[in-house]
Amino acid sequence: MLLIFQRLWQVNWAEQWQYRANLIMYLLYWLVSPIIYLAVWTSIANSKGDVNGYTANDFITYYMTLLIVDQITSNIIIHSFGYKIQDGTLSGELIRPIHPMLTNALVNNIAFKGLTIMGLIPIWIVLFFLFKPDYSNVALSGILLAIPAAILGFFIGYLLSATITALAFWTTRVYSIHEFYYALILLFSGQFVPLTLMPKLVQDIAQYLPFQLLIYFPVQLILGKLSSAQITQGFMMAGIWLVISLTLFTWVWRNGVKRFSAVGA
Amino acid sequence: MQTLKLLSAFFKVNVQMALAYRADTIVNILLNIMWLGWELLSLNIIFSNTTTLGGWGLGELIALLGVFRLVNTMMIAIIWPNTEKFNQSIRDGSMDYTILQPVNSMFLVTFSRITVWRIWDLVLAIVLIVVGINISGDTTSPLSILTFILLTVSGAVVIYSLWIVLIALTFWFTKFDNNVTILHALLDAGRYPATVYPAWLRIIVTFVIPVAVATTIPLQALRGDLNLNQVILFFTVGIVSFLIASRVWKSGLKQYSGASS
Repeated sequence: MLLIFQRLWQVNWAEQWQYRANLIMYLLYWLVSPIIYLAVWTSIANSKGDVNGYTANDFITYYMTLLIVDQITSNIIIHSFGYKIQDGTLSGELIRPIHPMLTNALVNNIAFKGLTIMGLIPIWIVLFFLFKPDYSNVALSGILLAIPAAILGFFIGYLLSATITALAFWTTRVYSIHEFYYALILLFSGQFVPLTLMPKLVQDIAQYLPFQLLIYFPVQLILGKLSSAQITQGFMMAGIWLVISLTLFTWVWRNGVKRFSAVGA
Repeated sequence: MQTLKLLSAFFKVNVQMALAYRADTIVNILLNIMWLGWELLSLNIIFSNTTTLGGWGLGELIALLGVFRLVNTMMIAIIWPNTEKFNQSIRDGSMDYTILQPVNSMFLVTFSRITVWRIWDLVLAIVLIVVGINISGDTTSPLSILTFILLTVSGAVVIYSLWIVLIALTFWFTKFDNNVTILHALLDAGRYPATVYPAWLRIIVTFVIPVAVATTIPLQALRGDLNLNQVILFFTVGIVSFLIASRVWKSGLKQYSGASS
């Protein structure tokens, strides 16, 4: 099994490496909105002194950390896999003795992330000198806790996106469903603003949803902004959502494959 | 006259294409309303924490959202679909047929595909601008409305011209099919007044990828923030950039040698 993953890694890494110019464009595209939010909120914090206790530096560190966390927890499975179900190229992968989405596509996503993170590092350093975040309050323990949190966040996000992608077995409109899913992420993950500045109702709902596990939870862990009760609750939610998303995915996938008849069959 | 005829013909063809996918059109409109809801909610969140953003109030930001949606509609309804078609035609050589037509090739390449249902976005944008200005309580004169319209059009022309230059680069670098990604990426910066951005970002969105010229600046004209010289300057920028873009397009065409040769 390990050998399989090693081979898959070599293939997918080489494949992603081919598209490195595309990757840089993707990265630039993806960078813009966090930087805009950063600018908007620091401008507000600067004019008022703070926003509900958030100083300009709090916002800068929040979004600068978000850039890294989001790159770790996000995935592109809908784009790298959705079309295979639609145009039938999936057939070739189905006859292999390994799960297409949990092995090959997964490794493909990780290779993609590996490359984008390599591209992100120099950009992040430039941004660091432009915005000058003050990270003096960050403790090593926070970073160590954030690593498993971000990995859990990645798998939960991956399984949820994979579930939506697998809906392509039933409908041709998965991209629209995914757009709706993305709006939920914007609203409940803390991508737009730290969740504590959201309306109370959104905060109350968000803490039971998986989306904050992708961004808000790991970012605040790194920044050391959570109490130990909140940390315990966060990891518990992560455990629960991992089980839910895995069950959901397995169920949708199994029923989808049964329905699948490739183009030309 | 011939141009208008062609434009209405393109429009008809595209309406027919859209009618073939009615359900998709409805889904797209629903998603569009969802995003409008999100945009208004995010403005509400911002203004529940502050009263001004870069010197602008809530009403002005709603109006800015309207102007942004005008540009965004141009991006999604015209720029995206035509770029896709253009890149394809460079790769497979079907550009040959476009050049053979007895019409300006730049016009053909940039207007033959129109995502028709997006037209409703234009109506929505105008509603947002009117409602936003009313909320803001800014006094508008016929003159400021006129400069606003002039600068909105010239801002759109600047974006259009930049797009022409970007796709014309494909004549020299055939593999450059990411040509409009950079434009699309920075477009989002038009949602907020350029005055809130740090200097380096403001320079990028004003001079390099001039999104702010098409969004922030027309609205500044409406608020009466610009003096006559600035209005003339930005209007001239629109005309000049269009002239440059046409020149770049023409010399690009000379480079084109078909896909097989």
